[in-house]
Amino acid sequence: MGDLTGLLEGFSTALQPMYLLYALIGVLLGTAVGVLPGIGPAMTVALLLPLTYTLDATAAFIMFAGIYYGGMYGGSTTSILLNTPGESASIVTALEGNKMAKAGRGAAALATAAIGSFVAGTIATVALSLVAPTVARVAVQLGPADYVALAVLAFFTVAAMLGASPARGIASLALGLFIAVIGTDSLTGQQRFTLGLPTLADGIDVVIVAVGFFAVGEALHVASRLRRGPIPLVPISGKGMTRDDWKRSWKPWLRGTAIGFPIGTIPAGGADLGTFLSYATERKLSKRKEEFGHGAIEGVAGPEAANNASAAGVLVPLLTLGLPTSATAAIMLAAFQSYGIQPGPNLFAAEGELIWALIASLYIGNVLLLVLNLPLVGVWVKVLQLPRPYLYAGILTFAALGTYAVGASTEDLVLLFVLGGIGWAMRSYGFPIAPAIVGLILGPIAEEQMRRTLAISQGDPTALVTSPFAAVVYVLVVLALVGSQWLKRRQARLDAVVFAQAQRDEERLVPTGGTSAEGPSRKDHDSRGAR
Amino acid sequence: MTIVVGYVPKPEGRAALVAALEEADLRGEPLHVLNTSKGDAYSDPGYATEEDIAEVEALLEESGVPYELEHRLGDRAGGAADILEAVERLSASLVVIGIRRRTPTGKLLFGSDAQTVLLQAPCQVLAVKA
Amino acid sequence: MSAVQVPPGASPPSTAAARRHRLPVGELVVVVVLAGLGVFALVEAHTIAVPTSSNAVGPRAFPYAVGAVLVLSAVGLLVALLRGERGEVEGGEDVDTSGGADWAAVGKLTAAFAALVVLVEPLGWPIAASLMFGGAAWALGARPWWRALLVAVVLNTAVHVVFTRVLGVYLPAGPLEGVVGLG
Repeated sequence: MGDLTGLLEGFSTALQPMYLLYALIGVLLGTAVGVLPGIGPAMTVALLLPLTYTLDATAAFIMFAGIYYGGMYGGSTTSILLNTPGESASIVTALEGNKMAKAGRGAAALATAAIGSFVAGTIATVALSLVAPTVARVAVQLGPADYVALAVLAFFTVAAMLGASPARGIASLALGLFIAVIGTDSLTGQQRFTLGLPTLADGIDVVIVAVGFFAVGEALHVASRLRRGPIPLVPISGKGMTRDDWKRSWKPWLRGTAIGFPIGTIPAGGADLGTFLSYATERKLSKRKEEFGHGAIEGVAGPEAANNASAAGVLVPLLTLGLPTSATAAIMLAAFQSYGIQPGPNLFAAEGELIWALIASLYIGNVLLLVLNLPLVGVWVKVLQLPRPYLYAGILTFAALGTYAVGASTEDLVLLFVLGGIGWAMRSYGFPIAPAIVGLILGPIAEEQMRRTLAISQGDPTALVTSPFAAVVYVLVVLALVGSQWLKRRQARLDAVVFAQAQRDEERLVPTGGTSAEGPSRKDHDSRGAR
Repeated sequence: MTIVVGYVPKPEGRAALVAALEEADLRGEPLHVLNTSKGDAYSDPGYATEEDIAEVEALLEESGVPYELEHRLGDRAGGAADILEAVERLSASLVVIGIRRRTPTGKLLFGSDAQTVLLQAPCQVLAVKA
Repeated sequence: MSAVQVPPGASPPSTAAARRHRLPVGELVVVVVLAGLGVFALVEAHTIAVPTSSNAVGPRAFPYAVGAVLVLSAVGLLVALLRGERGEVEGGEDVDTSGGADWAAVGKLTAAFAALVVLVEPLGWPIAASLMFGGAAWALGARPWWRALLVAVVLNTAVHVVFTRVLGVYLPAGPLEGVVGLG
């Protein structure tokens, strides 16, 4: 089956009314949950997973594609109107977009984000359709040692890129690997770390770990340090994009796409990096540097495009190598596995119909987002009026529901809460969650491939590095470790610049209040959560 | 004696403020403008922004009526409790609130601050329609 | 970066600096637990049975490696800790990082969740989950309690109907078994 035929067949599947409905539901739910500032795309995907349990695989993945793109998109609306990014990839959108909204150009900021996301999402999905089958054809030739090398690359980059220090990232990764080992060894049938408990004999369900770490952990974290107080919502104003706005936006859209897609495909910790690089690029190239920090439309257009392009880029290693490069991708891999599908080079051959339907629904999801989001902004604003107590009680309920639906077992619920406690502890002491999730899902794959390599080589460990591909990857690991520290410093520098700017703005504001009134005190707060 | 007015950045709130200003002028009493939020949601359309407050202050300054402005996060009980607390604290002679049409279901689910103030205020209540 | 209004009297962000001088008990506990987990992994890995017919690498190698990484990361963290590095509480839109943890709220939340675990089978999903949702919302500050419970009942009845009727997921109905639309 040719790639184009495959894609066309994918469209003929995804355009069936029933599947179109699933795509629509996915996009709406993904956006509605993604709009909420406390919930990132990984938690969105984990929480909405139970909805797909009883659907057939095609319907489930079409809905999933919608949730994924919708979740990525929802954050930009929030960051423009509230100045708090719903997900960490939207931080830079919050910088310029919120300033634009305050200057009465909210409609233009929302429009450039929406159209930019559509343009970038569509181009990146085209790139995905072209690149993925090719990568898969090359990847078929990879041996087990090469997969070990790729897994090691993912482990190190995810652990080093996310979180405050590499030690914390590696500790989190090791925790994920440990949880992955619990259960019955798939090759020899031996029980490992089960403490003789029958519940643990089958291992711990990945969904329970992800939901526990993300959702329950976040609920406990918020309960322990609940913030009160609304965030001033900027009303949507202005008339949308002017001719000048279009002229200033289209290049950043394309540049953002060009930056975001490749960044998404490499294990660099997800979409955050692409948005920061795009922002830095736009600032450098702009002829109106003085506008940056005060609502430059390029600073919304570029990063939003990069964000959505990298969302598509992440799917390339996920689908062709079975290699998740972000927590969201790891949870999606777990969803594939729950349908008995193992992403990898053979996926296009074995499950062509399903994968092309998934890719086709990404195109459809993009169109739905463009058509729906601008008219529905009012609805998303209403979602933000949900009181936090109800919101987090709801998150807890859905976490329990998803867990109970897996196996109707109250022991799983206890496990969920214990894992939530661990997630809370990790948040309290600055440990990133994502490496644990990546380790959890990639660990068993790495172990299996390592043992296969050594079985073939009859125990000679040099077999792990003698394959040319693997050797190149290990060199990349070293480069990535050095490079990630450099990129992190750059990002920190940009953060510092922006933070200083925000503080200067703060100082200009005089506290309101009459003679006897207590003026509300203000405090700067770094809203960048490592999700 | 003081007049307390519950302000929200909506038509009914502005109507209440205007009526309260007239009343304060007439009675020669100072005005206490109150705007609070429970602060439990990301966004609360009833909580005045900096711009709203500036607008209110301009209006108050222009009228020449002596006033106090209380703009803060309230306790978790919400709007009506904050108004009643202010009435008690200042032994107000009159409390002015703005009202709007509500569906019975809306009232059941979210309660009615206006109704609570009307029934529980120890002083006169002036309810102004937007 | 965002400006967020906080209630009057909230402590300024300088508490982070003050915290730096205190002994990081909580973080030390985390490091010890991490190291303990690593040691457990190393010791337990030794007891994993290895089939004699096994290939070059059996089921023990990977657990050994994981145990070693756990211990090493704990050592690395301890060194960083002694050098004065402190883990920062993860920030967020709903999180106030200036104060300490509110253990009472966490306790109430835990109790609400425990109620679900104990009650879901005897009382069924709609009742048990409503109690959990209501309790959790109340623990997080929703008032009055009856409104939280009302929202909980409406939401969980809807969830029950959608999941059991539309999606075909099994959820226990408990004593509501047989009630139209639920059982």
